[in-house]
Amino acid sequence: MPKIILIGSPNSGKSLLFNRLTGLHHKVANFPGITVDVGIGKMRALPDVELVDFPGTYSLQAISAEEKVAVEHFERALDDPEVEQVLCLIDATRLEKSLYFTLQVIRDCERHGKPVTVLANMVDVLDSHGLSLDVGELGEAIHTPVLPISARTGKGADEIARHIQANRQLGPQPPRAHLLDAPDVLLRGTAHQLARRYGPKGDVLVRTQTRLDSFFLHSVTGGFAFFAIMYLLFQSIFTWSAPAMDAVETGLGAIANLVVPLIGSHVARDFTSDALFGGIGAFLVFVPQIFVLTFVIGLLEDSGYMARAALICHKPLRLFGLTGKSFIPMLSGVACAIPGIYAARAIDSPRKRLLTYMAIPLMPCSARLPVYTLLIAAFIPSGTALGGLVGWQGLAMFCIYFFGMLCGLLVTGIISRTSEDHYTDLPFVLELPPYRVPGIWPLLRNAWNRSKHFVTKAGKIIFTVTMVIWVLGYFPNYGTDLGTSWLGYLGRVVEPVFAPLGLDWRYAVAILTSFLAREVFVGTLGTIFGIEAADENMTPLVQQIQSSDLAIGSGLALLVFFAIALQCVSTVAILSKESGSGALATKMFVGYLLLAYSAALAVYHLAALVG
Amino acid sequence: MNISLWTLKAGERCEILGYDQMLPDNYRTRMMEFGFHPGETVTCLQSVAFGAPKVYRVSNTIFSLDEEVADHIQVRVLAADA
Repeated sequence: MPKIILIGSPNSGKSLLFNRLTGLHHKVANFPGITVDVGIGKMRALPDVELVDFPGTYSLQAISAEEKVAVEHFERALDDPEVEQVLCLIDATRLEKSLYFTLQVIRDCERHGKPVTVLANMVDVLDSHGLSLDVGELGEAIHTPVLPISARTGKGADEIARHIQANRQLGPQPPRAHLLDAPDVLLRGTAHQLARRYGPKGDVLVRTQTRLDSFFLHSVTGGFAFFAIMYLLFQSIFTWSAPAMDAVETGLGAIANLVVPLIGSHVARDFTSDALFGGIGAFLVFVPQIFVLTFVIGLLEDSGYMARAALICHKPLRLFGLTGKSFIPMLSGVACAIPGIYAARAIDSPRKRLLTYMAIPLMPCSARLPVYTLLIAAFIPSGTALGGLVGWQGLAMFCIYFFGMLCGLLVTGIISRTSEDHYTDLPFVLELPPYRVPGIWPLLRNAWNRSKHFVTKAGKIIFTVTMVIWVLGYFPNYGTDLGTSWLGYLGRVVEPVFAPLGLDWRYAVAILTSFLAREVFVGTLGTIFGIEAADENMTPLVQQIQSSDLAIGSGLALLVFFAIALQCVSTVAILSKESGSGALATKMFVGYLLLAYSAALAVYHLAALVG
Repeated sequence: MNISLWTLKAGERCEILGYDQMLPDNYRTRMMEFGFHPGETVTCLQSVAFGAPKVYRVSNTIFSLDEEVADHIQVRVLAADA
């Protein structure tokens, strides 16, 4: 099918235009090695033509490995005989930023004999400020047609389709040659001159932005605004998504109650109930959380606030090798690592993104909460101090949360200082986009796509691991006793590994199953101790643990182990997909496991020393 | 007076003179792509507290630059009425 390439620099409104021209029917593909999304969709006005939306780059002179992959892919696409034309989108309000890249695109298209059309976006913004861009003169200056458009209002969209069709009817054109051999340095100078000549003059376009920035970036008001917005973000993660999460859980339970009794075979019934509805259902519960978080983060991004939040957090995070852009992904990780890993896509520096990936699994996610609650209730006295102001259990919960965050920062701090990769990184140069009112429908669609990605990509891996753990726990005694199952046998095999922490085979089995998801630890211990629904009412299980003569050192060791270990198959699966590196996910899994074990061992012996 | 862009105070304008040798080539290239050319006028819009990146305007675009970049851009402060 004939293809049209759509390319442009970041923040030029490319995705919005792509959606407008294609009517939102696009698919997303991942390139091997890294995550570079390319949208592909049929044009609404020309159904026999496919529009290919390339990732935004500032230049065809790549300065990072990730940019290099994107640029190389663009160059390869120009060799594709199916690619008929190239649309290069520029931001008419900020020509300086766009024109150098545009001239590079024109030059490379000349070399490959592909016609280029420049689309000057955001002319509605120019109009609203009483400004204009002489597209005719600019077009003559760069020997390329320039169409004035607005991706937001749809102005010029029909003209784009007519122009593409007219070009197609003309057939292949001999390449122009005015930039054919122009070096980058010449293009940069030319772009600079053109921007000065044709770009909007005065400060009318940035006046509102500057006024709002003086509030949102002010040392006092900016701080208050930041904490208020982050509070709302947290609320969205925990509170707003809770009813939907409950609804998913209730819905799955209701379906299970309907379906399971209809199954005749005992094994198939147990499989459907425990593995399908129990195992797969446990991860589907997270979908609403991912949807809500993606939507709220999208709101912050589209409004322009995200860039300001990154700026505010940059300095403290830089001490640990991270960037201000790491803040939101890490904050999201406190609810669940998976949306946090997705949110890390917004970090343009590959090195900083990698470090952020490393920090996220150490954030105290909500799946750790039931484990912490159980262990703290079992090992920390419920008394208070300072006249009831400080509760020991609450303090213990705060400490273990803080410990996880501190571990995340220390790990990235150490890795950033001990690995040399400075010159392939991108500098912290953050374009502060204009503030604007976000479009709700694109945000909802994005949240839907992200949730779908989570279900389809992580689902396969989670399904496989769930099957394995279920089979191990079910056979050979058909689910009558976990202790004599293959998993129980495995627990006894690995018992010597956990014995130095003062843990017997029962805790070993619970730890093994917790690698599916951390909270499974509670349910498994409940099963072993013969307590129904232990994850809903922990009191009998707490009493059982207390009467099992487990040392307090072992309890503290377990807390530390769970704070560090990456026991979440969903997180490992998404890490592997998003980073494009199964090796990275495996190294993190093994590395954090060893670190967790060593730290737990140290805590156990320290507790024994203290007595 | 020639200073680094990082030492420019909020509200001050300057003309870019060039980049020092300490700034890696790829950083310099990217800054030029953003419009930070020698001879270009830059305004420091905001100096955020606690050493956070500062906010600069070049042409009609607003950027936030960290010290690791801004400290290597040599500038000449322009008089308020220049």
